[in-house]
Amino acid sequence: MKISYKWLIELTGLDWNPEDLGDRLTLCGTACEYIDPADQYMHGVIVGEILAINKIEGADKIRLATVNLGDRQLDVVCGAPNIEVGLKVPVATLGAKLDGGIVIKKAKIRGIDSEAMICSERELGLSDEHAGILVLDSSATPGQELAELLDYKDDFMMTFELTPNRPDSMSAVGIARDMAALASVKVNKPTFELTESEEKASDYIKVTIEDEVACPRYAARIIKNVKIAESPYWLKKKLVLAGVRPISNVVDITNFVMLELGQPLHAFDYDRFGSKEVVVRMGKEKEPFKSLDGADHELTSEVIMITNGKTGVAAGGVMGGFDSEVEDGTTNILLEAAYFNASMIRKSRRQLGFVTESSQRFEKGADPNIIEYAIDYAASLLQSLCGGEVLAGIVDCYPSVIEPLKIKFRPKRCNDIIGTELTSDKMKQIFEDLEFTVTGDTDFEVTVPTFRPDIEREIDLIEEISRIIGFDNIPSSNTNIGSLYTPIHYEDKFKKEMRTVLTGVGFDEFISHGLADSKLANLLHTDRPQLKIANPISEDLDIMRNCLMQTAMTVIHHNVSHRSLDLSIFEIGKTYLPPDDKDYWAEDESLVLAVTGNTQHTWRDKPRPRDFYDITGAMKAMATHFGWGDFSFEAKQFSFFEKEISFEISLNNKVCGLIGKMNSKVSKKFGVKQDVFIAELNLAYLLSLSNKLIAYQPLPIYPAALRDLAMIVKEEVQANELLQQVKKSAGKYAESVEIFDLYQGKQIEKGKKSIAISISYRSKESSLESAIVDASQQKVVADLVKKFNVEIRDK
Amino acid sequence: MSVLDEITRLQNEAIERIGKSDSLDSLQEIQNVYLGRKGLITSILKSLKDLPNDQRKEVGASANKARVAVSNLLNEKKESLSGGGERSAFDPTLPGTQPQTGVVHIITQVIEDICNTFHGMGFEIARGPNVETDYYNFEALNFPPDHPARDMQDTMFVEHDRLLRTHTTPVQSRFLETHKPPIKIITPGICFRNEAISTRSHVAFHQVDGFVVDEGVTMADMKGAILAFCKAFFSDDVKLKFRPSYFPFTEPSAEVDISCFLCEGKGCRVCKYAGWLEILGCGMIDPNVLEKAGIDSEKYSGYAFGMGVERPAMLKYKINDIRLFFNNDNRFLRQFR
Repeated sequence: MKISYKWLIELTGLDWNPEDLGDRLTLCGTACEYIDPADQYMHGVIVGEILAINKIEGADKIRLATVNLGDRQLDVVCGAPNIEVGLKVPVATLGAKLDGGIVIKKAKIRGIDSEAMICSERELGLSDEHAGILVLDSSATPGQELAELLDYKDDFMMTFELTPNRPDSMSAVGIARDMAALASVKVNKPTFELTESEEKASDYIKVTIEDEVACPRYAARIIKNVKIAESPYWLKKKLVLAGVRPISNVVDITNFVMLELGQPLHAFDYDRFGSKEVVVRMGKEKEPFKSLDGADHELTSEVIMITNGKTGVAAGGVMGGFDSEVEDGTTNILLEAAYFNASMIRKSRRQLGFVTESSQRFEKGADPNIIEYAIDYAASLLQSLCGGEVLAGIVDCYPSVIEPLKIKFRPKRCNDIIGTELTSDKMKQIFEDLEFTVTGDTDFEVTVPTFRPDIEREIDLIEEISRIIGFDNIPSSNTNIGSLYTPIHYEDKFKKEMRTVLTGVGFDEFISHGLADSKLANLLHTDRPQLKIANPISEDLDIMRNCLMQTAMTVIHHNVSHRSLDLSIFEIGKTYLPPDDKDYWAEDESLVLAVTGNTQHTWRDKPRPRDFYDITGAMKAMATHFGWGDFSFEAKQFSFFEKEISFEISLNNKVCGLIGKMNSKVSKKFGVKQDVFIAELNLAYLLSLSNKLIAYQPLPIYPAALRDLAMIVKEEVQANELLQQVKKSAGKYAESVEIFDLYQGKQIEKGKKSIAISISYRSKESSLESAIVDASQQKVVADLVKKFNVEIRDK
Repeated sequence: MSVLDEITRLQNEAIERIGKSDSLDSLQEIQNVYLGRKGLITSILKSLKDLPNDQRKEVGASANKARVAVSNLLNEKKESLSGGGERSAFDPTLPGTQPQTGVVHIITQVIEDICNTFHGMGFEIARGPNVETDYYNFEALNFPPDHPARDMQDTMFVEHDRLLRTHTTPVQSRFLETHKPPIKIITPGICFRNEAISTRSHVAFHQVDGFVVDEGVTMADMKGAILAFCKAFFSDDVKLKFRPSYFPFTEPSAEVDISCFLCEGKGCRVCKYAGWLEILGCGMIDPNVLEKAGIDSEKYSGYAFGMGVERPAMLKYKINDIRLFFNNDNRFLRQFR
């Protein structure tokens, strides 16, 4: 919403400077976003009179104009078709900064020195008009500053960012009303004189509303014998500074009244209206309609139509029709002022596919009771500015009058909610300054005018009090209300600790939004359903991910393509599945771990490829921290993993995830050409195993006996099988069993490997006698030989 | 002069020159003059064979003593000039063996900071689903169907009549339905808007909402709590400005600006020379919201607030592109150790 500063000052008589005005309005809820000097593109632009126009050799489009700038003459190269000797034009001189970033500098054009420019409206920031230069009034004095001539000095374009609940602010009077309430003064609303002729408007037009919900009120006036012309300068200026392009006096008047009062109006060419009756009804399916911008529409039953009883002449509250538009030759006007249902206008303009100044005001909620004032004001202007003859009477169809709302208001409740100690009198004053009427003493009955449809309840009135006194005048409490004790949920603590453990072992955390590409998802869990986005912003973000591996691969791709090849990363995040019939949907949290590239290269440690064991190592670090016990890995084929390295992960005999080496073909589709190892774990299950209270174990009193055992075994025998067997065979004194060496290669037969295990024996009751340890050790050896056919190596 | 006297003279001369020398170059020259292949002391040693036997031994011993004395002195001086003292083979300047550690994502860090601050003020964390129903995201929060307020939040819809929550405030709707006052909650999480991805806006962002419901909660309490948070999170001398605004679920509603913590309100590029930064929205919970959740709005009142996470993070760390947070480029992530 744009309105000129001087317009607001005229309406209130206040002497606030523009910044002050902007700040005060912002602090009462009408946010002033920009304050632009009206003459911001006019510095260094002065009036010039064209004395002569000469051709430039070898150029057809541009000509050389000699202009009188008052104290000097200048030759200016000009490409506009509409320059003529004798015209007064705006000339931008050296250093002038025009709209669109144009700065006037010395230049040579076709060998001619040029240091000025004759400007179009667009270059001066006046409108989008750029077909020719702006022709000034012939009374202008050469050398005069343009801003002074146009009365743009000391005026400003105020741009307001309005909240959707305040339709009343969409007009100059509406904004002035807030200013007036802040200063406790009255708005100088426009006054006018209207002389009606004897002829009755009702002899010319009849109004029927078929759908009273869509259109509760429709008023019309007839104005005869108008003369279409350019609007007077003061009117055009107000429109331009409000960002509205002047068209012709009749159209400009309807726009002007809308900008000033907030009531959209429409002027039809009465002679081309097609009948003597206005019928307001809903559109018919596939009914054709041509809007005044020349576009053809196919209507639906959701569009409110103004018709002449036969065909549509306007899309009510949104845009006029092409066939009844006011033209240069128009003489008789049918002037419409109507009130439409806000949400039906919203549907209407959605169906039609555009937003207009008019639809914006109706869909936020216009004032049904300003119509007489607005239509009379416009009629008086059509009379005074276009020479029109206003026929007697308003043809006003208003079947059920919309009355102002009366709301109970308790001053005490207001102070209780906002935390103030305002007096009832102060509150009453504020309401009256806002043009509300108040009755009652202890408790009020407040009558809210219909231009404030946002105020429906006591709390809305409390808001009015708070915003007019200013939030900065509400005290700030020092008391901490509510609970002093707050539990930290273990889930939050758990995730925090998990991050600490994983970053501690070298993994970087990444986070994702969860939007993903269905094509890439199809490369992974093909059997999992996908939750599709109905209106995706792009086709590569068309689902919510159904696993975290996908986003991990995307992150790896991003980093690898930026030459960060060595990565250990993790994410704790949600996966999504579609809801099922029972109105339930699955939004589970997972942990993904992924490694790729090499370990770090230092002067001491040579790099090696990151692999499977870097992930299971990190898992072990977590298992140790949270006391989960040992993970186990069961071979299971996943299509996206390499065959040999593809496992399901279990913990306490329950499957809780998967781990593997990403299939190289799948990786390539993600744009990753290096090996990736990845694991995904169910977070809820891990969480359920955590948060154990640790019970202290007494420190050992007696020494441990250590025994090492090296053996050669077939390579398909897994480490864990051996360890489990050793634990079982070593008996009750075996305190720990660890693998400390693994070797394959020279000296070892092909297809076999050498594994070394250390066993620690300890008793809580006494020092172990070596005979007991030796016996256990012998049993271990015997069992291993029997079960796995191992060959024990001598030390 | 006897050869022996000559040796003594040469030795003294050399010692004197070494004493005066102040550079390695001049020491090298002294070495060359006395001890070099054709050096003065060397020449005497070389000429021993020409001496009669009786002198040879005495001169030889004396010359050798002079050579050693000069040589030692030279070495000593060389060491002292080269900053010396004793040098050992141990090199402490080799980089320490630093185990590789990872980094927690900056957004996680900022959310944790915000939550810790509120936790200190007695707020409890609550969470909810990211895929929401229209009811909890809009209707329960007093957004009537087909209301212009819905345009403020471009919504992404998913199948099965669900949507991606446009704010974390639906957690409030859910929590109010299942809990009785007093309630004092913050709700960190991700939310989504149907917006094009650019340096300034993203389809997804994080938010922390908070709300308090109890008997007699006032706007003054809200202002106090928000001021306390901003002091703890931004800086102790932060100033606040409350501007009336509009949210369907609060009435009255306000936007909160804080004095720019980079320029202390003087005006800089980050605050666009305004001296203020828009940081947070808040207001008194609309009675409709309480009533919909079955809470008596005559007895209880409450306030709510919500703030983005990315925006304050961008301001604080001077990050100029919101996309960096979701790109997860480790050159970016590792800057926030």
